[in-house]
Amino acid sequence: MEIIMSVLAGILFTAGVYMILQKQILKIIIGTALLSHGAHLFIITMGKLNRGKPPILSEGVTSYADPLPQALILTSIVISFGVTSFLLVLAYRTYQTNGTDNMEKLRGNDHE
Amino acid sequence: MLHAAVLLPFLAAFFIPLLYRGVKQVHLGWFVLLVPILLFGYFLTFIQGVMQGVHTLKTFEWIPSLGVNVTFYIDGLGLFFALLITGIGSLVVLYSIYYLSKAEKLGHFYVYLLLFMGAMLGVVLSDNLFVLYTFWELTSISSFLLIGYWYQREKSTSGALKSMMITVFGGLAMLGGFILMADITGTASIRGIIENGEMIVNSTLFPFILILVLLGAFTKSAQFPFHTWLPDAMEAPTPVSAFLHSATMVKAGIYLVARLSLIFAGTDLFFLIVSGFGLLTLCWGSYMAVTQTDLKAILAYSTISQLGMIMAMLGFGTELAILAAVFHILNHATFKGSLFMVAGIIDHETGTRDIRKLGGLFTFMPITATLAFFGTFSMAGFPLPFLNGFLSKEMFFDSSLHFENASTIVEAVSPFFPYFAVGGSIFTFVYSIMLFFRTFTGKQRETLPKQPHEAPIGMLISPIVLVLLVIIIAFIPDAFGHALLSPMVDAINGSVGETHIKFWHGFGPALYMSLAVLILGSALYLTREKWQHVYKALPGKLSAAKAYDSLINGLINGSRKLTNVYMTGSLRHYMIYIFVFFIALVGITMSVTGGFQINFDDLAPIAIPEVMIAIVMAGAAIATIFMKNRIAAILVLGIVGYGLSLLFVFFRAPDLALTQLIVETVTVALFLLCFYHLPNFDKKKESKSTNAVNWVISISVGVLVTMVGIASHSTKLFEPISDYFLKNSYKLGGGDNVVNVILVDFRGLDTMLEILVLGLAALGIYTMIKLRPGKKEGND
Amino acid sequence: MSNLAILPILLPLLTGIILVFLNKRLPLVRLITRIMVLVNLAVVSIIAFNVIQNGTIVLKAGDWTVPYGIVLVADPLAMLLVVTANIISVACAFYAFKSLDEQRERYYFYPLFQLLIAGVSGAFLTGDLFNLFVFFEVLLIASYGLIVLGGTKEQFRESFKYIIINLFSSMLFVTTVSFLYAVVGTVNMAQLAERVGEVQQDGVLTTIAILLLIVFATKGALFPLYFWLPKSYTVPPTVISALFGALLTKVGVYSILRVFSLIFVYNLSVTHQVLLIMAGFTLVFGVIGALSTNNVQLIIAYNIIPAVGYMILGIGVFSATALAGTVYYLLHDMIIKAALFFLVGAMVAYAGTSDLRKMGGIIKNQPLLGWLFFIGALALAGLPPFSGFIGKLLILRGAFEEGHYVLGVIGLVTSLLILLSVIRIFINGFWGEPKSEYVQNENSIKGKILPAAFLLVFTVFLGLGAEFIYPTVQTIADQMIDPANYIDSVMKE
Repeated sequence: MEIIMSVLAGILFTAGVYMILQKQILKIIIGTALLSHGAHLFIITMGKLNRGKPPILSEGVTSYADPLPQALILTSIVISFGVTSFLLVLAYRTYQTNGTDNMEKLRGNDHE
Repeated sequence: MLHAAVLLPFLAAFFIPLLYRGVKQVHLGWFVLLVPILLFGYFLTFIQGVMQGVHTLKTFEWIPSLGVNVTFYIDGLGLFFALLITGIGSLVVLYSIYYLSKAEKLGHFYVYLLLFMGAMLGVVLSDNLFVLYTFWELTSISSFLLIGYWYQREKSTSGALKSMMITVFGGLAMLGGFILMADITGTASIRGIIENGEMIVNSTLFPFILILVLLGAFTKSAQFPFHTWLPDAMEAPTPVSAFLHSATMVKAGIYLVARLSLIFAGTDLFFLIVSGFGLLTLCWGSYMAVTQTDLKAILAYSTISQLGMIMAMLGFGTELAILAAVFHILNHATFKGSLFMVAGIIDHETGTRDIRKLGGLFTFMPITATLAFFGTFSMAGFPLPFLNGFLSKEMFFDSSLHFENASTIVEAVSPFFPYFAVGGSIFTFVYSIMLFFRTFTGKQRETLPKQPHEAPIGMLISPIVLVLLVIIIAFIPDAFGHALLSPMVDAINGSVGETHIKFWHGFGPALYMSLAVLILGSALYLTREKWQHVYKALPGKLSAAKAYDSLINGLINGSRKLTNVYMTGSLRHYMIYIFVFFIALVGITMSVTGGFQINFDDLAPIAIPEVMIAIVMAGAAIATIFMKNRIAAILVLGIVGYGLSLLFVFFRAPDLALTQLIVETVTVALFLLCFYHLPNFDKKKESKSTNAVNWVISISVGVLVTMVGIASHSTKLFEPISDYFLKNSYKLGGGDNVVNVILVDFRGLDTMLEILVLGLAALGIYTMIKLRPGKKEGND
Repeated sequence: MSNLAILPILLPLLTGIILVFLNKRLPLVRLITRIMVLVNLAVVSIIAFNVIQNGTIVLKAGDWTVPYGIVLVADPLAMLLVVTANIISVACAFYAFKSLDEQRERYYFYPLFQLLIAGVSGAFLTGDLFNLFVFFEVLLIASYGLIVLGGTKEQFRESFKYIIINLFSSMLFVTTVSFLYAVVGTVNMAQLAERVGEVQQDGVLTTIAILLLIVFATKGALFPLYFWLPKSYTVPPTVISALFGALLTKVGVYSILRVFSLIFVYNLSVTHQVLLIMAGFTLVFGVIGALSTNNVQLIIAYNIIPAVGYMILGIGVFSATALAGTVYYLLHDMIIKAALFFLVGAMVAYAGTSDLRKMGGIIKNQPLLGWLFFIGALALAGLPPFSGFIGKLLILRGAFEEGHYVLGVIGLVTSLLILLSVIRIFINGFWGEPKSEYVQNENSIKGKILPAAFLLVFTVFLGLGAEFIYPTVQTIADQMIDPANYIDSVMKE
């Protein structure tokens, strides 16, 4: 299972990287979102999958899933959310001020 | 006390600006003059001791833990240079009082000059390699400032830059050599290193060290092909040229070679490089001097040539040669110093330094002309008993003929030396004679910018003193020999024998060489018109100045071209560089270290629902790439996100699933909101090659990350620390939900900061939306 | 006692948060900022002194046993860097009052600035790899806020690139932390070091180390990952460029220094060889960039890169001498970069252009500015007796001692070219014929010189007064060579 999940995360990375290499701002942002999904999937995969119960202590259960990666993902999800929202607004403002959403037209070589 | 002496010029430099503001009536130079005079007197008191072999050593701990201490050491070599610096320094300051009017920025001038004086004293007295290097660079910096003194002139600033680039280049090479020397011997003290000189000479790095150190010496002492900065340095006020660029700073390289002779001399490499480049510089410099028309340019090339001659003698390394070298350092300082001052007087009183315009000045300025006579004829090595230049020139010829206990290489090469010596000296003779006759005799060729007249007496004092020294030294060379030169030869050579200097050597090869110079030189001077086309053709494009210019321009233009090639401003390019580097580095590392492992032992069983979700997610992720419509792309992205939260449910992470669900929903909403304002996807297709590049890169990245992920998971080497959380969550954290307890308790700091990140993002978003550059463009 | 270690983070954090709420009252915000940066500098200096005298302070956040909770490790290295960061903070605070337009001041410059300092200090202090990621995010998102502050076209354009590149490296960072957790089962740096040491950095661990290196090298602007830097550092106002130039890349360098002296030191022939190669290219390409432009701000921004090259060279050589050099250079570089950004900022304000070809003769009316720049230029090029020399000397000495002659020579040549790149500013901008239109800008440099002079005092002090700092740096480097020192001081708690 872990191997399948690693491959899935790898596919998410692939798609993310591909999107980041595009020109249009919105495609690039979709790429970053895919990357963060891939990263989070990796984190949970790195604990042991499907072993034990959810890490909520209850009587008579001795085996639980690894809680630490879950905690780390939670932190990471929230941070990614913050950054992604920032990025979306930035994309909007960049488009508004520069008049294009094509990064190839935003090279800025006027500014040696 | 010794430290205070070296510190004095720096202190004075610090107070000069204050004094400059306060006292306007008196020329600032009078106050400055006190410094070199006091120091000269102070250093004179060491002569007695040094003659008897008493050396003074004083240490001030600067960075003892690094082994960098300001240790000053006075032996014959150091003392001679200290006297030279302060002695010539006094005369130059005196001269400058009449040369520079009060309307000039005197404050700056004297600050730089004092900085230089202090730095130069530091160079010749330091026993610590790194302190020596510090002062060495400081002389380059103060020289830079002095050359650029008239900073509005383009020629001054480019001359300043050139001198700095070349001398700092040499300085850095020298630093490299010093580091290696200190590393090999384990000490940074020059005396200590000399004691362990064997270790350096026997080291495999010896040629490397020698070349590095000599680069420092050669650049500073304007040896071919690094000499090109010196003629351009003539943009500095003439007192500076007399002081730095003929008598002192350019001798720093000579000093360094002399100081380290006890280590290097005796090796063939040292002999070949130092004598070879010295002789080459002698010939090239004197030849170039003949082709010049500016008085100061002639003197500059003449200085280069004379420095080459001294360097060559140090390279010869015989006791006779070393004596001749140190004697010539003294003589050169006297006659060249006086000649620079004469050139300054001519410039000052006629308004030009171009010998094509000058002529017949003898009638207008007889004293100056007389001084020039002594200077030029001494420089030419004219056989007259009252010219010190003849004595040292004769010794130079003599030393080029005698090599005792020579190795085979020395024996093979040295027979050619006398020819170079004579050749260089012929041209020296020509330009010296030309300098005198074309300036002072004949008819005035053009109306000069100023009506020429004799210089004020104050301006004449310094050159008179120097010319008197020319004569006195010629008459009683032995007095100087015993007091100054013998201890110096001792310091360079490690021993000293006979130092008797005499005028008449009898009929021998040296005399014949002198006569050859006299006859051939006169002939060349008299027929000079016939040689003009040669002079025009020879340096031509071969000049080192042109090489320097094209090097610097090439560097700047090449940098621009290269940088523009890769700094395209395109995000796509930057990301491609990063990904390619990532692929290469991770790929190589993994294969080199055998990092990839796969282990099927400890895996969770494959469950159908999860696999189904995974397939859907993978499909959705890839689908985002092909979506032609942005709304569709966002929705497909949403599928990936919701799929992930479903997976979290299966993987026993209910909190995560919940959070992911909420975050995904909000994100999708935000995406839609934002995309509402952005244009739709570009319908134009990318070219096939672009797509191919994208695919190759993205698949490679994906594959590598997957491989590292699998390998990591397959090599669980330690038990994770999370057992502790499970055991203690309730007991210590007071909660059943372990993930929550970790978040708020065990790793509470993370959570606090994560909230901070959200707050910061909100703040940033708010400013982005609210703050628009208004009419008042506020870019700083 | 050990709670002291949180103060360098907490003080700017609280200041920043309070300033958000006081935002409407700009004079008060300025006053509080002024007071708090000074207070903070005083506090961190006292803590640093204490740490150097009495040894490392380890703060277990929430008092959880190591390694289960997050630890903050105030060791001498971290504290020296925190103090330096706060010196920069003081200078930037005072420069900001004089240089920013009111609009930007009003739109949360000061809170973002203080929170950036909190993030930077946290990154220096934390002893937990995941927590390092979180602090990175704090300082990065504060930097995102600062880089767009003002909302000009160029700012948006360059920030987008800056953020995307950083985002990729952040995602790679968390992913790598999780890989590391899978293999060694912990995220505490001391325990990581211990466990990696036990298995001699076996198997996939070196690959993971390289992943981390790529993450930090992107933040730290190493070749070939620095492309985002020059332009994105020059589009925001000077004070923000100075903050970025002085602090952000140095956090990346610090992370490399920490991780590759503490955790991944068992396969030097791979990891540190890579560092050496990258250092060489960083030196060369960085300085070539600095020579390639006539924009004075870009020249300074490009000069960040070869400086990083020197520091990485020291880490790659990995001897006590070279590491001491890296640490010393780190302190020097933070200060000199901020000072130079200030000075060229003032220069640009006075000349009304950043194009060197349109400048000239500024020294005639602004001699102090000119001479301060001259000193700064010499210090940047590593000429004695200023601060850059000591670090450079040690790094090169280390390189030569360990037989890396080619890199040593590259280091020497680079230093000459750095000098050329900045002395060009002096010659073409300060020397030459003055331009008449400058006079109208006479007031534009008011108050900008003092903060720069304040920083240059430290540069001179770090050079001439090296004996006051160097022994500490030497001790740091000596201890760094043996990870057991750090591991023991954290794990025994």
